[in-house]
Amino acid sequence: MSASEIASFKKKVIATAQTTKSIKTDFVQFKHLDFLSDDVKTSGKMLFKSPNLVKWEYTNPYQYSVIFKEEQLLINDGGTKSKVDIGNSKLFKKLNQLIVNSVKGNMFSDTDFTVSYYKSPKYYKAVFVPNDKKIAAYIASFELLFNKDDAQVFEVKMVEPSQDFTRIIFSNRTLNSTINDSAFSN
Amino acid sequence: MIRLLAISFLAISVLASCSLKTTKGLRQVSFTKSEVENPYFSNSEIDYVYKAKIDFYKKNFGGILIIKKIGPMNHRVVFTTEFGGKLFDFQFENDTFTKHFVIEDLDKKFVVNILKDDFKLLINESAEVLSVYESNGERIYKTQSNDDFNFYFLGGADETLQKIVSTSKTKEKVEIDFSIINENIAQIIAIKHNNIKLTIALEKFKKE
Repeated sequence: MSASEIASFKKKVIATAQTTKSIKTDFVQFKHLDFLSDDVKTSGKMLFKSPNLVKWEYTNPYQYSVIFKEEQLLINDGGTKSKVDIGNSKLFKKLNQLIVNSVKGNMFSDTDFTVSYYKSPKYYKAVFVPNDKKIAAYIASFELLFNKDDAQVFEVKMVEPSQDFTRIIFSNRTLNSTINDSAFSN
Repeated sequence: MIRLLAISFLAISVLASCSLKTTKGLRQVSFTKSEVENPYFSNSEIDYVYKAKIDFYKKNFGGILIIKKIGPMNHRVVFTTEFGGKLFDFQFENDTFTKHFVIEDLDKKFVVNILKDDFKLLINESAEVLSVYESNGERIYKTQSNDDFNFYFLGGADETLQKIVSTSKTKEKVEIDFSIINENIAQIIAIKHNNIKLTIALEKFKKE
């Protein structure tokens, strides 16, 4: 993408992110490991409420949810509930911030990543490569695919240093519907 | 005096060997099978994928356990979070253990050794039989691995593997239970430790 294309694309994504107060969406996740015959497939629903409440709820083939709330992760693993404090883990905070920002698509101001931009007839792609060595030990790159028309993220891909990766594809997205805060309690 | 010492040592070792609960009161029987087999991770065409719940000193961790036989006597064992991030990635080839990846928080000798021993026991396909015991329709095959003994509990007419108990000379250390078995796949697997508070519960992903 040219410099002016990048500038207008970023502007569009930031404008969309600013008007996005809530997101409800289905997702399918594929875990790719080179030695497997098939990717490991799981699916569920994701909820986002501005500014930083996120819930990932896996419903198939098992029930598992994680709520990102303030400095905690609230986990419900098929009925077993637990809390993880992420307040004193810099790495975890960073990963959490990444998740929130990638849902909104707004990661361009993040100085921890070097970003490159690509386009295809159907989508824009932004590839984020971590500058921080600690993050780079876990994530080689982070790719976000955006719809050309509404600048919403429709796919997230996390590539590991081994080149194994996780792809999450969103579908049936509803924007700015009312979501009660109670949806983000365990 | 030396004879007395020798006798008391002998007595101690005999007593010690009798103290294993696993074989207490069981009748030793003659056997023809020279090897006992664990078929549950032996098909190289299957991706064995399980939802895992780990309970470690009352702390709960969830994840996905992925096991694949990638060659003869060669297994890859990967544990990821529900989001797909790898927590560890091990390979067991014959007696060679390779640690491809472990996240920093788990990369401690004590932890890695427990995981290595547990998963080696879980995937090991066959072991040489030392002796066989019998009780209530079960046959129990005693095998040895380094200094430990592994007891394979086989039940029913078709001798289905139901349980493996790993012991030192005197104590039970780890028990692996296999249940809801069809077509050589155990739907439910429980790994329980006796000396540390660690249990790993595995449930096979359902087919779509």
